[in-house]
Amino acid sequence: MPVRFLRNASELADVSWETPLPVQVANAKPVPTDTLLVATLTVDTTARDLLGSTAAELPTLDNCMQYRKLVWLAHRASNTAINYTIRARATDLAGTPLGSGWQTLASGTFAADPANPNWVRLDIPTTTDGYYDQYRIEVSVASGTVALTSKIVGVR
Amino acid sequence: MSAERITRREMLKRLIVAPVGAAALATLPVREGSAATMQPYYDPYFVAVLWEGRTRCDSLWRSLKGDVVPVLPTVQGTTPYDRLYWTGYALGSAPVNVAMRVWARAVDHNGVPLGNGWRAIGQATIQTPPQRWFRVEIPEGHWDEYRLEVRSATPRLVYSRVIASQGYWKE
Repeated sequence: MPVRFLRNASELADVSWETPLPVQVANAKPVPTDTLLVATLTVDTTARDLLGSTAAELPTLDNCMQYRKLVWLAHRASNTAINYTIRARATDLAGTPLGSGWQTLASGTFAADPANPNWVRLDIPTTTDGYYDQYRIEVSVASGTVALTSKIVGVR
Repeated sequence: MSAERITRREMLKRLIVAPVGAAALATLPVREGSAATMQPYYDPYFVAVLWEGRTRCDSLWRSLKGDVVPVLPTVQGTTPYDRLYWTGYALGSAPVNVAMRVWARAVDHNGVPLGNGWRAIGQATIQTPPQRWFRVEIPEGHWDEYRLEVRSATPRLVYSRVIASQGYWKE
């Protein structure tokens, strides 16, 4: 039994190679970027990740293998220097890390900057490609506290 | 212009590879797997026009849209874009001397900025002979919103376009 569809206001057509079902292509364009995390943390002198964890084995971000790089965009409430450490590792097919510990990709400081007192940015990794499965992003300050609102965008 | 006589069968074949021709028909959503076969010439690199228009430059820092409200963005929804390009043309017979600066910020899932203010991406002065094109490249991409501001001691009328590219640029 042929499958028919309404080709226009008054014409029925059989589905065939010459008259295929009209379709609207959905989700055809790959999404080149995804927002992976939006979080606010009160940064203090203890190194903790963007989710507030001090457990060194916990990842901040998981399932990141498809991303060539991560872009960390953040707003700090005051012009305070913030230290950061970026760590990454790979997992097996079950999602278990291949081993304990991390590879340190970068560590540094968002220095106090009169030109940009609040907004900071870091590309992860800074030069090469990423494609790691898990990342742990730790921050701390030398003294006092500062509120840090972060957004991490994964770029495919 | 030349005409070509084709059969109805040939026309329908062409419609299959020309989605625009089928757009007026009733549509059904399909999954990506099928879509891949419908777009054999799909190009993964996209360029989008974010803004196009005319700006009256004067002694105030104005967004390309004309406003002087610092909290307002010039372009939004720019997260996917790797870099932006601002191409323009200033009217008038005098040499062009327009100061410009670029700001950026990120927003949360609701579109609310993560904090107040902007990140200063850069600033420069556009100096060209009269009636020449200029182009500014903004390489710091993936911010959600940008504000492009211009200022000129001599009032100028600038026609410009801001485009954005999603491509990955190996450098």
